[in-house]
Amino acid sequence: MISPLDRKLLRDLGKMKGQVFAVSLVMACGLAMMIMTRSLIRTLDTTRESYYQQYAMADIFASLKRAPLSVAEQLLTLPGVATVETRVAVDVTLDLPGLAEPATGHIISLPEDGKPQKLNRVSLRTGRFPNPDERREVVLGESFANANGLQPGDSLVAVINGRRETLKICGIGLSPEFVFEARAGETLPDHKRFSVIWMNYRALAVAYNLDGAFNDVCIDLAPGALAGPVIEEMDRILTPYGAGGAFIRAEQASAQRLDDELRVLRSLSFAYPLVFLSVAAFMVNAVLSRIVRLQREQIAQMKALGYSSRQVGVHYLKFVLIIGILGTLMGGIGGRLLGASLVDLYTLFFRFPSLVFVMDYSALGVALLISLGASVVGVLTVVWQAVKLPPAEAMRPEPPADFKPSLLERAGLTRFSSPTFRMALRNIERRPWQAVFTSAGLALATGLMVLPGAMSDSIDYLLTFQWNRQQRQDVAVFLTEPGSAGGFQDLQHLPGVIRAEPIRSVQARLKFGHRQRKLAVTGMAPGANLNRLLDQDGQVIALPAEGLVMSEMLAQVIGARIGDEVEVEVLEGRRPVLRVPIRGLVTDYAGVAAYMDISALRRLMKEGDTINGAYLALDHTRWDDFMRELKDTPRAAVVMVKRDQLAAFRETTGKSIGIIRKLYLVLATIVAFGVVYNSARIALSERGRELATLRVVGFRLAEVRGVLVGELAILVLIALPFGLLFGRGLALFIMSSFSTETVRLPIVIQSSTYSIAILVVLTASALSFALVSRMIGKLDMVGVLKARD
Amino acid sequence: MTTTVHQSHTPGKVVFEAHGVRKVYHTGEVDVVALHGVDIELHAGELICLLGASGSGKSTLLNILGGLDVPTSGNLIYKGWPLNGADEGTLTLFRRNCVGFVFQFYNLIPSLTARENIALITSISRNPMSPEEALEMVGLSARMDHFPSQLSGGEQQRVAIARAIAKRPEVLLCDEPTGALDVTTGITVLEAVERINRELGTLTVIITHNAVMAEMADRVLHLSDGKIISSHRNEVRLPASQLKW
Repeated sequence: MISPLDRKLLRDLGKMKGQVFAVSLVMACGLAMMIMTRSLIRTLDTTRESYYQQYAMADIFASLKRAPLSVAEQLLTLPGVATVETRVAVDVTLDLPGLAEPATGHIISLPEDGKPQKLNRVSLRTGRFPNPDERREVVLGESFANANGLQPGDSLVAVINGRRETLKICGIGLSPEFVFEARAGETLPDHKRFSVIWMNYRALAVAYNLDGAFNDVCIDLAPGALAGPVIEEMDRILTPYGAGGAFIRAEQASAQRLDDELRVLRSLSFAYPLVFLSVAAFMVNAVLSRIVRLQREQIAQMKALGYSSRQVGVHYLKFVLIIGILGTLMGGIGGRLLGASLVDLYTLFFRFPSLVFVMDYSALGVALLISLGASVVGVLTVVWQAVKLPPAEAMRPEPPADFKPSLLERAGLTRFSSPTFRMALRNIERRPWQAVFTSAGLALATGLMVLPGAMSDSIDYLLTFQWNRQQRQDVAVFLTEPGSAGGFQDLQHLPGVIRAEPIRSVQARLKFGHRQRKLAVTGMAPGANLNRLLDQDGQVIALPAEGLVMSEMLAQVIGARIGDEVEVEVLEGRRPVLRVPIRGLVTDYAGVAAYMDISALRRLMKEGDTINGAYLALDHTRWDDFMRELKDTPRAAVVMVKRDQLAAFRETTGKSIGIIRKLYLVLATIVAFGVVYNSARIALSERGRELATLRVVGFRLAEVRGVLVGELAILVLIALPFGLLFGRGLALFIMSSFSTETVRLPIVIQSSTYSIAILVVLTASALSFALVSRMIGKLDMVGVLKARD
Repeated sequence: MTTTVHQSHTPGKVVFEAHGVRKVYHTGEVDVVALHGVDIELHAGELICLLGASGSGKSTLLNILGGLDVPTSGNLIYKGWPLNGADEGTLTLFRRNCVGFVFQFYNLIPSLTARENIALITSISRNPMSPEEALEMVGLSARMDHFPSQLSGGEQQRVAIARAIAKRPEVLLCDEPTGALDVTTGITVLEAVERINRELGTLTVIITHNAVMAEMADRVLHLSDGKIISSHRNEVRLPASQLKW
């Protein structure tokens, strides 16, 4: 049986359903976003965990030149090591008939004699593993197979150690090691041009002269074992075999990308929804204050009839509760739907055997607690003031509102202003907190609008910066093995090459103090004009004759500044260890890098005109000739085509940010509309008598609307600059929390983003005004005037 | 303030003519007939008192006269202009230029001072007096810059009267103007109404429950069940200051 008080509650809510809906909707937007991101985090997290576990993702990885298989036994004896798996892993060029440019294959060997893999097991999607005695059968990565329409039974041509071989696809698979499937050092997947391939050990080892040996090893730690000591021992054992240093799972490219994505989601799951919930709390406060003021006499009646202050207080808190529950319900449903549809976006980047959306129901509880908590705190004082009033006093109508000339008037600034403008100013000043809340709500709504725009501005800037100003080559070609000056000339003389610049890169460990990073130090020719090093302002940094130029991010990570000397431990050749000063910092947005003058690097390596690759600018009319020839160049292992990278970027990051941006824009628009509508409704209900009076004395409808709209317009205008400032701050905060070593976003906000934010808020305001204006037209002039205030 | 008894007003030109004015409200499933065919003529300069019980239709009649409402049927003519069937814009102009209203609850704009409340109207009228002049007429020159919250009930009502007459309307319509006031204050307010009627020659219609007030009128109309059941002309008008209730 529903109590009379609850029945009153439901009817009161029914009468203000527009506002109840607006407030719950704003709340729902924040909650939906929170639930969506938290559920996506849970989805990725649990999927990753179970994938890693089920398919035995290794704990430690190391690559080396060549070590006999017996070394594996030695590794297995190390304390803390549970499993050792050795493999041969090489990069090869793939020649697909439908693809002008060569693709890259990363071939990993499968254990001999058809034994199952111990670590990083392949999840077979279709087909089968190669027969133990088959030399040319391979399992192909699923993304590549899908992107190129390949399936078991098809074949593809690979250049394996200089020889063209036709490989037969017997299966399609995935591996936990390549959830994020991209070439080494690439921050974006290019499924059309890169694939992981698994084939039998013997065929691969023989081709690369590694029979009875390995060049890649993975290790699984015993439960509770620490990685640090194991890595130290591994490095000690493997260094003589040309190892570049072992690393843990968190540093593995694919795992790192997943971590980065989760970090981005985490930073989005909190700050942004919190702003929505704050706006909703402001709105709830405004609505409830109005109800309590309006029902002052009813409160007195209830108390006179014998209801306790607590009962009355709880009655009014139930308004908030219902709005909160409604918001949570809508937010929960919205978050679930959004999450379930956005989860597919992750398949652009990450490959799991299956990625099924997992709803984080705990987020629902947290969301409900946060939203109700914020709203209840917001209205406690209002309710308290209502219930503490003695019934007799509350039953008398409120005395006429107390007014005084506004601050602007006292300062003599409004001498020639109209009475209606003064009304607006004095109303605002009389209830400053209400005005502050309305403006704050609107400012937050304006601010929310800045983030989506800032994201796309930054991406645009990134594209221009990275692909037009920094990387001006058409193609970067890397060789399977370092080559001589002759190798460079071969590349230079490929058809269509207009300009070529040599690259010599060596794997090294950079140390400063106790911090270190393993990366390739790239030597470039002085005056290199294709891949340019740029500073923050986009100015070209000339490579100094001696010393290093590195990514700002790298300097930040190791805590070094220009002028500091870092220790460079080269991890190949004679493995020299040198101290090199930092001479400059480059601004870049993907990965971290270090550069040197190519001659200086060669001197350090005590070698001649060695190269590992070249940056090439091409005559576009001869594109196909170039690519055809390149496919037949056995030593070219990795070819990065700028055009394709750009397309991949648009296909992946661009697409996903585009979707997220639209989503945020829609949510922010709802908030802006909700805030203005709510404020206008409240103003209308509070000022109904005034507006009716104006109508009676002969003001036209438009003039009366002007009075109400004028006041709200002042609040909107006050809110806009603060909103833009806040939006900038919010965008800076959220986008800098995206920044990781692998991917960073430059923070760029165009004036058009601000203009759009303003435009959307003004449009949403205009719409709300229009809705409320219609209500002014329906005001019962006589009824309002004859009623006691 | 004069204490002498006045000769009743000689009827001037016809301001309002109503013939068979009916008003029916549709509320839910029932039709409520508020006016049952009213025929009256109101003349310039007259002070009319509309008496009647609650629900007799007096407020409906006043609202229709003032252009706040339109008759369901019948003819209402204001100085030769038909008001029945007038659109919203015409009625707004009519209220803006020809009618002044005074209600029981003063309905001042709380955020404007007395003077500004009046300026609000004078700023949109064709031939208004100055706000100061209007306040002078109701004896409130000294309280011009006070906000409503700083004025007593009687003072607020006098500001409302000043606001109503500042535009020099042909008609002043007062709905229970003293309903919320004590006797002494009520009489001060009526004196202001009386002075306006006398000095500006404004046709004034007062609605009241209070039969005593009828003695200050030129004519008294009794309404019951939506019809005028009696109309009588006072030979002499008692000054408001001499009313007692």
